[in-house]
Amino acid sequence: MKIVVMIKQVPDAEEIFIDPVKFTLNRSQARGIINPSDENALEAALRIKEAVGGEITIISMGPPQAENAIIECMGRGADRGILITDRVFAAADTYATSLTLAAAIKKLGEFDLIFAGESTTDSGTGHVGPGVAEFLGIDQVTYTINTKIEGEMLIGERELEDGIEVVSARPPLLVTVMINANIPRHSSLRKKVDAIRKGIEKWDHDTLSLPPDWVGLKGSPTLVGALKIPEERKRASKIIKLEEIPDLVNELVKNGVISTGGD
Amino acid sequence: MSEFDAIVVGGGPAGSSSAIKRASSGLNVLLVERSDPPGSKNVSGGILWGKDLSAIVPDWEKNAPLERYITAKGTGFLTTDSMISIDFRSKKLEASKTGYSVLRAKLDQFLANKAKSSGATLVTGVTVDKLAFDGDRVIGVQQDGDTITSDVVILAEGANPRVAIDSGVRKPIDDQDIAIGIKQVIRLPESTINERFNLRGNQGFAGEYVLGFLQGTVKAGAFMYTNKDTISLGIVVNMSGLRENNSTYSFNIMEQFASHPFIQPYIEGGKVEEYSAHLVCEGGINSVPKLSGNGYMIAGDSAGLTFSNGLVIQGMNYAISSGIAAAETAIAAKAKNNYSSDFLSSYDTNLSANYVLKDMNTFRGIENVTWSNLMHKAVPGIAENVLFRMFNETGQPKEHLSSILMDSIRESKYSKSDLIIEAYRALRRL
Repeated sequence: MKIVVMIKQVPDAEEIFIDPVKFTLNRSQARGIINPSDENALEAALRIKEAVGGEITIISMGPPQAENAIIECMGRGADRGILITDRVFAAADTYATSLTLAAAIKKLGEFDLIFAGESTTDSGTGHVGPGVAEFLGIDQVTYTINTKIEGEMLIGERELEDGIEVVSARPPLLVTVMINANIPRHSSLRKKVDAIRKGIEKWDHDTLSLPPDWVGLKGSPTLVGALKIPEERKRASKIIKLEEIPDLVNELVKNGVISTGGD
Repeated sequence: MSEFDAIVVGGGPAGSSSAIKRASSGLNVLLVERSDPPGSKNVSGGILWGKDLSAIVPDWEKNAPLERYITAKGTGFLTTDSMISIDFRSKKLEASKTGYSVLRAKLDQFLANKAKSSGATLVTGVTVDKLAFDGDRVIGVQQDGDTITSDVVILAEGANPRVAIDSGVRKPIDDQDIAIGIKQVIRLPESTINERFNLRGNQGFAGEYVLGFLQGTVKAGAFMYTNKDTISLGIVVNMSGLRENNSTYSFNIMEQFASHPFIQPYIEGGKVEEYSAHLVCEGGINSVPKLSGNGYMIAGDSAGLTFSNGLVIQGMNYAISSGIAAAETAIAAKAKNNYSSDFLSSYDTNLSANYVLKDMNTFRGIENVTWSNLMHKAVPGIAENVLFRMFNETGQPKEHLSSILMDSIRESKYSKSDLIIEAYRALRRL
């Protein structure tokens, strides 16, 4: 089974802050991590590879330092890593990103399954996985928490608002994976040393030979209007001692915060 | 034939220095660090003393991520109401640039990347399980069921040397040799730090204090260091004291220190950006294990190579120096193709010849002074009493210093003879 896993290196959300003057996300202090649900996507792919055999290729689009995230994925069991990196791809929105990734997967040749995280923590649109499926013209199984191969079919459990839907679909397919789908494994020293030795492949604009106005900022129809920090609402706070609870209840009743019930 | 000439376990100052030295000499080195990026899992007060890095990174003073150079050194005692301290500020200290405040998240990454650019294979985010043995000879490391082989392994795991202990090459750590360190990194504007600590530009302050206000047998020291736009504030609590006093919590001691009337003004309005805790080696020379054996060497905190006499507290320089010494031995071993315990024991000899083990031998037993009742329970109260009576004007006739001192000793619960004996012991060891 030929499997592609799409991952993105994102800044650790705990280390991002909003620049209070320019209202932009300051990511300079944040370390790069694999987007959390992409780790679940890789884990889901690894489990299928372990069950039915196959080869996993990691594809990521991003700056050169995203190499670390790809090496980490290979350290967990992926076989090959490709980083799509070029200045002209910068500032792409989800449309241009999906198009570029789809072009890369097409160039890769035949595939059975493409796995992607449900959404990223840095923009959270959830567009890119489904977008790639659309550009490639293949079916998609989204929001999965469990996937397995039975015969020629992929069985996917989709976590929806009103329950879990079990679907059966025929590859080639794109599958998006939820953050609660599984517990991602750690990389191993053996596999990581091998991954560093093997290295990753870097593909640029020339490799993909897409028209320049299809990629990066030029190929992006989305415009970000503004980014605002909502004002923090100051709440009254008070520390109450045990014996003061009756007074507190009276005060809350008086202010209409709680009612005494009855009528 | 081994896969690597050397495997270094741990990418702190000891491990990375060792890897830089080895890789620059053309050895095929694997450096494994469990945190990603390196430096994100350790806790260190954060003053790098000395110039040991010059041997492996000649331009470190220009290019390493250093915060401030120490021009002012404070040391003293804190009681509930008072701070009694020496504040040594000197153009001479400034000229010698002998200590730099550092943030390890930055410095460790810098050093690990140096190792990588020197040719070492750097693997982060992976924890080594154990040493791999063939008979009694170390032949590499085990991780997740795999064995990665090397001619020699350097264990530089830090204060909690799990691989060394689990592999049986080091005994578990005793309570008496260990303390708990807690540290906050507090952000404040650079100009505010300069004003509060009376500093200019990149001048820095490093202060260390005995916490004389603690109850029972709990003993703790504390530190306050200036970085560029943060302050590193922390405590080091003696482990056995904590075990004996079940109602004392280390985090409360941290709060007491941070809210002390003469510490709090320094950090007022600052934002706590990091809060971390870690083991700290405090055992002195008696806690240093066998430093090498058949196919392995131990460096830095893993080997208990730290120095503290209460006035001078150092660790990173001992780590760097021992890491380099281990690398030199490994390079010589490669040339002779001899990794026996006999040959590797030249590492111990090298360390004995340089300041690392010399210092630790000179100050043998110093841990008994730095953690003594005299320093933690008697002196702070007596000193406060003497100074208060000397400086407080009550309109009463004045007394000689000697009689104030004798009064103060009498008021403390220590006998004069005990104090004299303890003080004599302390002076000899300092």
